[in-house]
Formats: sequence, structure tokens, C-alpha cells
Amino acid sequence: MHDAVAGIVLAGFAGSAHAADVLGGTSDPVSATPREMFLAAGIGAMVMCGLTSFFLAGRVTERTHVALAMLVVLIGGFCLFALFGLVGREIPVAGALVLLGLIGLFRLMNQFEVRRNRTPRTKKGSDK
Amino acid sequence: MTARSLYFVNWWADTLIIGGLSILVWIALLAFYNSADTQPIFWLSLVLSLVVNYPHFSATVYRLYQSAENIRQFPVTAWGLPLIMVGAVGASLWQPNVVAPYFLMLFLVWSPYHYSGQTIGLTMVYARRAGFSIGQRERMALSAFVFSAFVCGVIRFQRNGSSGGFIDFYGMSVPVVPLPDWMDAAAQAVMWTGALVFAGFAAVWCLRQKRLIPPIVLLPALTHFTWFVPGAGLKSFWIVIPFFHSLQYLLVALAMQLKIRIDVAGGEHSWRRIGFEARRWGSRNILGGVLLFIGLPAAFSWLPLPLLTTAGILAAAVNIHHFFVDGVIWKLRDAATSSALMMNIADLVGPAVVDRARPKPVEA
Repeated sequence: MHDAVAGIVLAGFAGSAHAADVLGGTSDPVSATPREMFLAAGIGAMVMCGLTSFFLAGRVTERTHVALAMLVVLIGGFCLFALFGLVGREIPVAGALVLLGLIGLFRLMNQFEVRRNRTPRTKKGSDK
Repeated sequence: MTARSLYFVNWWADTLIIGGLSILVWIALLAFYNSADTQPIFWLSLVLSLVVNYPHFSATVYRLYQSAENIRQFPVTAWGLPLIMVGAVGASLWQPNVVAPYFLMLFLVWSPYHYSGQTIGLTMVYARRAGFSIGQRERMALSAFVFSAFVCGVIRFQRNGSSGGFIDFYGMSVPVVPLPDWMDAAAQAVMWTGALVFAGFAAVWCLRQKRLIPPIVLLPALTHFTWFVPGAGLKSFWIVIPFFHSLQYLLVALAMQLKIRIDVAGGEHSWRRIGFEARRWGSRNILGGVLLFIGLPAAFSWLPLPLLTTAGILAAAVNIHHFFVDGVIWKLRDAATSSALMMNIADLVGPAVVDRARPKPVEA
């Protein structure tokens, strides 16, 4: 049942997004479509944010690491939006989910690099 | 609470700027200009953009980048975010048919959401000034009202402003977010529930305090409702909504800037000084706005794309950057920021009382 539902959703999404043709399980990297090239650029940007956070470990505040993580969410969210933003044309309910997803993204970004009053949780016997 | 402490300037100025003027304009347009020809309004709003809309973006940039300390305190916002925006602009210019429509779609939905955030912020400011405590329950009811009105607005703007599923933005066809038919009714149900619950909290407060809640507390939400629900049906009105949003912003940002510049020990506290600082800040932001919205597109005019397309993509990037920076610099929970937002401009004429929680440039 779960597989059937997932199949229907994926089929709808694939149609809306004009997803890459994966017949045969291979794709030619040289003749990538503009959409695939954009997605590759998005993934590259996310990798850069992750690497920046990694190399700055111990040198910047937790707030900066959280902000870098939020940039990853923003880029990933935008890539998904570019893929599935118009899925509501075929599945109306999915259009509502896209809008709710955007609102969630905006709410999260509203917390971008703000001061957090949360005190760090310390575990007994945590590794040093 | 004194009559003066309730307002940034006075009853007239605050009431008109926070929403009274926009409601009057909506009524006037509804009564006298319900025409499909929006060109005259468009040109008028373009002229007003030079002195209000564009400077409002510049004011945010100015506040963040005006000191090195600010940049050190928010490095990702100051450096990382512009890089991401440059990347998004580059991708949009590189793939104007694949990436740009979604980038513009993102901006067109984010923009009214951002207005909603400002409505809640203004309500919180005036409620605090009036002594009306907004706790978690009150805030939830207010948010339900404001954000549902935003959803209603998105649905109405898309319905009234699109043709064949596309909106014309700077000469580009931007797809609308397709939404199911029942969403409008659902959003309205949440909106009215939120309004009723919030009105209930306000009524209880009035009974306990034995006085009416000052109308300015409810004005931002009423204005927001006017913009996004009845106002969204009038095309000539939505063209000027960004102007009124920017006007609200400039009032608060000016008060904050004056607090930073004037409320220092040993400084001159006079109306002359206030006028001088306001003119200096205003002229710098007008110049900054022109650079952002006219200079920047002109600098990219060599690209093999219509200038309008380049201008539209850059405008979206400047807007999205502004949404982020605004979120960072206007946090009411920050003691220094909230302290500065409680003052009246006339307080600056008296002797300086240097506040321990006085905002540093970044916090203001």
C-alpha cells in the first residue's frame, strides 16, 4: 500500500518536474539539461556551506554554525521548489503543501542568525 | 502610560503612517478610481518608490553595514547571505527560463509574508507601549489572523493578477503557486477565528483595565487585513501597498536611527539636531536606494538579456536579502532593541539619559 501511494506521488512529481530520464539507470553527464545543471550548482553550494561549517569548527559561535545549516536548508528548499513548485497544477492538494512548505521555510529563516537564549545541554560523562 | 509614550511621533503621524493613510487611499480608490487602467497609479508609485520604497531597503543595508562591529556580530548575514544571493542572481541570469521564474515566485510569496511579520512586530510594539501584554495565547491568535490574511491575499493576488497561470513581473512571466479551491475558505475560517479570539483577549483587557484599548494597537492588524483581503481585489491599490509597508518601516527605522545618533552623553539634544540627522539619514538612504534599484541593474546592462529582466531579478535578490536582514536586526526580544522601540522622538530633545540597554548600531 505504501509503495503504491509513493509510486503515485512520485509519478505526479516526476511529471510536474520533468524529472531527468533515468531509463536504463544511466545518464550522460555531458548532455545534462539546464535543470540538472542548476540542481548540481545547488548541491555544490550546499556542500560549500557544509565544508565552511566544518573548517570553522571551534573558531566561530554555535549561532554561525546554525546559520550555515539554515543556508543549506534554504538552498535545498529552493531546489525542491524549482523541481516541484508547480506540482499543484496536477495535484491540487500538493499545491497547498508547497505553500505551507514555503511558509515553514520563511518562518525558519526568520530565526536566521538571531541570538538564542537556550542554554547548552550538557550530558553527564560527555566526551571531551 | 502618557499620551506621548504611546506613539513614536504623535497620534496623527503614527495613525496615518502605520495604516490610516493606506486605508484612506483604499477607500478613495474604491470610490473614485475603480478603473482597469492602472498606468497612472503605476507611474505615481514609481516616483514615490524613489523616496520611500527604495530608501526602506537601503535603510536596512545601512543599519547592518554601518559599522565593522555589526559585520563581526552577524558574519553569515553580512557576508554569507550576499554570496548566496549573488549565486541565485547568477543562476537566474544564466538560466532565465529555468531558474528565474522560481526565484521570482519565491520573492512574490515571501514579500507578503514579510509584511505579515512587520504587522505582528508593530502590534507588539504598540501593545507594549499601551501596557497590553501579548503572551503566547494572544500572539497565537494574532498570528493566526495575520498569516491567514496573508494566505487569503496570496490567493486573491494570484486570482486577480494572473493570466493563464502566470503573473507579469518586470516583463517576465512568473508562474503562480497553484492552490486548491478550498484553501481560500480554510484560510478565511482560521483568519476569522484568530480575529475573534484576539478581540476576546482585547475585550477582557478592557474590562479589567476599565478603559478602551488604544486604537493604534489594533491599527496594524486592521491595515494588514485591508491590504490582503478587500484590498487584494483592487489592482490599482496593490500597486501602492509596498509604498505603505515601506512608510511604516521608515517611521520605526528613523526613530531607531535618531536614538542611536542623538541619545548619547554630551550630544546636542534639540529639534535642529533631530532635523539634521533625519535629513542626513534620509538623503543617504535615497542615494542607497537609487544605487540598489537603478545603479545595480544599469551596471549589468551589458548582459544579453532585456534590462527589465535583469532589473527584476536583481530587485528580487535585494528584497530577499532585506527579508533576512530585517529578521536579524529587529528582534523585539532583544532588550536593547525593545528599549529603543519604546521611545518618542520628542524624548530626544530633553537631556540625555543614556540607557544601559541602549542599542549599539547593530542592535538598533
